[in-house]
Amino acid sequence: MLKVAVIGAGTMGSAHSEAYVNMSDTVLVGIVDIREDVGRNLAESQRTNYYKSFEDLIASESPDLIDVCVPTSLHREYVEKAAKSKKHVICEKPLARNLEDARAMIKICKEEGVKLFVAQVVRFFPDYQKIYRLVAEQKLGKIGTVRTMRGGVFPTAWDDWYANVEKSGTLIVDMIIHDFDFLRWCFGDVERVFAKSHLGRDFNRIDHTFVSLRFKNGVIAHVEGSWAYPSGFKTEIEIAGSNGVLIHNSEDAVPIRSTLRENSLHISGVAVPESPLKTGPYQVELEHFVSCIINGTDPIVTAEDGFKALEISLAALESVKTGKVVALKEVD
Amino acid sequence: MKVGILSFAHMHAYSYAEALNEISGVELFGIADENEERGKNAANQYKTNYFHDYHDLLKEDIDAVIICSENSRHKEMTIAAAKAGKHILCEKPLATSVEDAQSMIETCKKYGVKLQTAFPVRFNPPVQRVKQMIDNGELGRIVAIRGTNRGQNPGGWFIEEELSGGGAVLDHTVHVVDLMRWFMNSEVKEVYAEVDTVFNDIQIDDCGLLMLEFENGVFASHDPSWSRCKTFPTWGDVTMEIVGTNGVVHLDAFNQHFMVYNDADHKVNQEFWGNSYDLGLVEDFIHCLKEDREPSITGFDGLKAMEVAIKAYESAKMKKPIRIRNE
Repeated sequence: MLKVAVIGAGTMGSAHSEAYVNMSDTVLVGIVDIREDVGRNLAESQRTNYYKSFEDLIASESPDLIDVCVPTSLHREYVEKAAKSKKHVICEKPLARNLEDARAMIKICKEEGVKLFVAQVVRFFPDYQKIYRLVAEQKLGKIGTVRTMRGGVFPTAWDDWYANVEKSGTLIVDMIIHDFDFLRWCFGDVERVFAKSHLGRDFNRIDHTFVSLRFKNGVIAHVEGSWAYPSGFKTEIEIAGSNGVLIHNSEDAVPIRSTLRENSLHISGVAVPESPLKTGPYQVELEHFVSCIINGTDPIVTAEDGFKALEISLAALESVKTGKVVALKEVD
Repeated sequence: MKVGILSFAHMHAYSYAEALNEISGVELFGIADENEERGKNAANQYKTNYFHDYHDLLKEDIDAVIICSENSRHKEMTIAAAKAGKHILCEKPLATSVEDAQSMIETCKKYGVKLQTAFPVRFNPPVQRVKQMIDNGELGRIVAIRGTNRGQNPGGWFIEEELSGGGAVLDHTVHVVDLMRWFMNSEVKEVYAEVDTVFNDIQIDDCGLLMLEFENGVFASHDPSWSRCKTFPTWGDVTMEIVGTNGVVHLDAFNQHFMVYNDADHKVNQEFWGNSYDLGLVEDFIHCLKEDREPSITGFDGLKAMEVAIKAYESAKMKKPIRIRNE
């Protein structure tokens, strides 16, 4: 049994906590959050202990694994604390807000002899895993163009940190890094990017981005991200090759659509789509990382992959700021 | 009113001919095509006169012509028609260079004939409804637009650069850029593009991605690739996602279709049942002549949309964004 503690009781901390409770190889020993009410609520609902500080948690529970689910700009602080306490670490994506922090996090985990995993969860979605396999098996022939879309409503969280460019890096660093990582997994490294977004323009809680990517293998990709919708969330991916076209939209892949009359559980007239899976992708991801720790095996997504995905996000952000094409640095 | 069609090289000539036959008070007087077999077949099909040399058709007592030649011959035919005093509806792209388009516009002005660019998608009712939503302010301020106009490799002269002037990027950029300009009353001021040939073993570009910025500050992207494989259930698409401060609208212009699965043909097909926008275009052109008003889609509109495609090639070559000057 691996003793796990979750730092941060927001959306992702809650999803991860629930997964650890459901998993057979882990026990959730504690939740840390500076917001006592939020932290206690999550700890109570998952029947675990709440701690106001990281240090209290370490002293009382001596966990084996720390799962860092705090806002991006705080990742380095908690990953370093965990590494210095000789605990393995899972860090939410994006690995960090800048490359210097990301590099330092990778370095200290190595020095302290602990494993660092980055939660690029899209690699654990069954649909995206299937897409990866079809591409790897060259079912679509030579790939020419790839298009992805991810987005919905502007996210709301503690301290409104998503709206703070310095803290979140906007949807380019926070959200479409999922697609950058997935596309890097499928197509390898990126040669150059050119991007547009609303960073610094006069819209309140509305952002939208188009990123043009040219991969070293020639693939042309269009990655779109939106925090401009009035509600909802969706993803789309299309891959066109010399032999075929693959199209996958989250809004179409819906096995259940219910429209129920109003009662105590439902608001009338609102169609509710559901796509249930036996095991959710967050749990699949965490089970994989936990098995890597237990068995000493390599993960399918490394901290270095998280670093490379962040490089693409930051290159896109630089392109937005400068209006220029940004070439990715050569691999060292 | 008598109308002639100059060349059936472009397949839209067939639906324009059908449209002319459907409009009352209009006669398809003749078809000129140097490809004698194609021209005679078309003339038989539409029960009209055949001319080998389009100059001979221009000598007849006709009011207007529709030009459906290879792109590289638009200029020559437009200028000849203008000099013969015939009004012109010219297939897109208007020309293969900005200079050619300018000289076509100037010549038509000089000889007092109307020049309309064939952007039929403006007459697709779902497109018109979205235009209305924008004009009514239903979306608020526009934030970004994502466009696609994907298709299949059309083959033939389309993939011969000296005749077409460009591949997928020229062929499939102009419609959607025209819609973006029309929706916003704003010109493209910057173009960045990736262009390549991947899907087909051909010499001309078959895929690309355009990143655009408009004078009004809105940015947009557009995918003009011939990326639909042979088994794809339809020829391609025109889609736009328009993001505004009040919400988002997704337009899939030809999504008035149903699916047909057919064992005999070993095919799955989307059967389109929406209104013919080619008819809408031709009707509009005829009305513009009858009412003696400015064409609703001018030669200038054709030039500006085509210019974006030309700059996209330049950008891809230079690997940097290209500015466009707008007066």
